Amino acid sequence: MRTEILAVAVKELRQTRRDPRTLAVLVIAPIIQLVLLGFAVNLDVTHVPVVVADADQTAESRAFTRELLAGDAFDPVAATPAAPDAMAQVVAGDAAIALVVPRGFAADLKAGRPTTVQALADGSDAQRAVVAQNAMGAFALRWGLQHSPLTALAQAQAPVGRTVVQPRVLYNPTLDSRIYFVPGVAATLLLVVTLVVTAMGLAREKESGTLEQVLVTPMSSWAVVIGKVLPYGLIGLLDLALAVALGSAIFDVPIRGFLPLVGLGGSLYLLNTLGLGLFVASAARTQQQAFMGAFFVILPMTLLSGFMSPISNMPAWLQPLTLLDPMRHMVEIMRGVLLKAATFEDLSRQYGILAGMGTALFSGAALALKRRLS
Amino acid sequence: MTHAITVTGLTRRFGDFTAVDDVSFHVEAGEIFGYLGANGAGKSTTIRMLCGLLQPSAGQATVAGCDIAHDPRGVKRAIGYMSQKFSLYLDLTPQQNLEFFAGAQGLSGKARKRAVAEALDRAGLTDRADATTGALPGGVRQRLALASARLHAPKILFLDEPTAGVAPDARREFWREIRAVAAQGTTVFVTTHHLDEAEFCARVGLMVDGKLVALDTPDGLKAAHVPGRFLGVQGAPQALLRQAPGVVAVEPFGLRWRVRLAADSPLVAPEALAWWLAERGAGDARVEAGQPTLEDVFLALVDPA
Ligand SMILES: Nc1ncnc2c1ncn2[C@@H]1O[C@H](COP(=O)(O)OP(=O)(O)OP(=O)(O)O)[C@@H](O)[C@H]1O
Ligand SMILES: [Mg+2]
Repeated sequence: MRTEILAVAVKELRQTRRDPRTLAVLVIAPIIQLVLLGFAVNLDVTHVPVVVADADQTAESRAFTRELLAGDAFDPVAATPAAPDAMAQVVAGDAAIALVVPRGFAADLKAGRPTTVQALADGSDAQRAVVAQNAMGAFALRWGLQHSPLTALAQAQAPVGRTVVQPRVLYNPTLDSRIYFVPGVAATLLLVVTLVVTAMGLAREKESGTLEQVLVTPMSSWAVVIGKVLPYGLIGLLDLALAVALGSAIFDVPIRGFLPLVGLGGSLYLLNTLGLGLFVASAARTQQQAFMGAFFVILPMTLLSGFMSPISNMPAWLQPLTLLDPMRHMVEIMRGVLLKAATFEDLSRQYGILAGMGTALFSGAALALKRRLS
Repeated sequence: MTHAITVTGLTRRFGDFTAVDDVSFHVEAGEIFGYLGANGAGKSTTIRMLCGLLQPSAGQATVAGCDIAHDPRGVKRAIGYMSQKFSLYLDLTPQQNLEFFAGAQGLSGKARKRAVAEALDRAGLTDRADATTGALPGGVRQRLALASARLHAPKILFLDEPTAGVAPDARREFWREIRAVAAQGTTVFVTTHHLDEAEFCARVGLMVDGKLVALDTPDGLKAAHVPGRFLGVQGAPQALLRQAPGVVAVEPFGLRWRVRLAADSPLVAPEALAWWLAERGAGDARVEAGQPTLEDVFLALVDPA
């Protein structure tokens, strides 16, 4: 069995080495894409135009808006006392957020009553809206803690309150979206590289007839399958290491946790992506079909992973479905380990799901392929 | 003598279409067995079933003592297969191809090295071991494919149209090799379109539309299906030859006429026909004894009119 697996793996590597296109897909494209996507996708919240509707017009309300708008994040574009006017400006596109400070803001604050400041965000750019709202929420909480006469009580409740605010803000205080984005890009690249190469490689062998010559040897189908995916799995792990290194070197993605945990996640994730590649390969007769099939797997997986738009923004019925997306768990593992120094226990659910689904996908695909081939 | 291959009622359908229809025969150990038929007759489909690549729809077959339906692995261990379409890796070198297929046969270390070196030598590629396989000429590729199929010294070789698209002298070379392999005791099951090649086979089976319509030695087939005698005639007009008693057909054959006579014709001896022609003013005509070919057998069977 070992001889056969080795023979297949060596053959795959030799073919890869002799084919500049596959080599480009495997190694060069990931680097270029990581860098390009990293620079191109800028989800940073800076200079968001804000229209302020201060109905309270007190010293406190003015201080609140002034401090909120002081930094780089928000730019005041207009001020109006009437909330409907402010909303009209958002609708017209002159401002992205309407900040509405209600009448009685100062009085509530002094009395220690809860008070509400509304931030109406233009949801057409959902990503920016969410990040901006989170930033405002964080600011409001901080401000409330500083200015409330009931500071002592508020601080006692603080741990509860802080967990309500998105961890993103806590672990990425400058809201640098690249740090958040690089793990997602890495997971996507791993998916594309391994899925496409596995699916296309087998389809090419079907087309050229070499698969028949392989199948007439007494080698078991398992040896064929394992020998075929092993090199691409290893190259995938190499790509992952490269992505983490580049992310850290170019985009200052921190490495706060234990790196081998990312490697473990990557290995389990690859079990999933290679399994999916085999599924596509068993269904496709031609390279073109394989490419289309790969595309139809990659697209929903990327969208459902929550790496581009937060899962919490998705319709409620869709959200449980994202649990079936291996990429979601890989992204969570990478973000967890790199940004939050998460431990194995913290991520045991993600590891468990990846391992379970990976085993099922891979063996299911290998069996489907075996049946298909014989 | 034991049978290397035994086939009973073998049938393969693709949907409504029956590609191989209730075929039965056996192949003796160590013989060259030729499998003939027009395009689409079902030759490749038969071979692919016998190699364990395709499940039969009905019937059974044993290859090297292994049932093809229940022990395809055992079959695969005993056979070498050269498919109709060249199917080594064009992007690898001959050396790399052979190393891979040797490994796939479970050969490793010294045994693999030896097998690969031997195969390169057989294919005449020892000094081109690092060329790109796709850049080799057709005849060389076929020899490489044959050497690759023989890496593990299989008991039975299946060759599916091994000389299709190969130049005539390369074809002769190839057949020399096939006969040498058989002489060493390997059973060879070979399909071909070239009827002259079938003359090299100990026995020949003829497929027409999925059915095995004839099976015998080449001489047996000729005797059974092309009764009559053949004479070669040069220097006489076709119209005159047609009038000779007992003549069945007159066809051009190179610069001569190939005349087929009924077995009971009074002119079956070359001298008799020459005499008959001389009497009618064609005294210059040269008449020689001729042979029926498998082509005649084939035509007689496919188109019995
Ligand atoms: N997988 C398949 N699905 C459907 N039909 C098939 C399949 N394989 C073969 N056939 C059909 O079965 C018939 C026999 O094919 P086969 O390849 O056995 O012929 P052959 O005698 O080898 O012909 P050739 O000399 O062209 O190689 C053909 O009509 C072919 O179209
Ligand atoms: Mg054929």
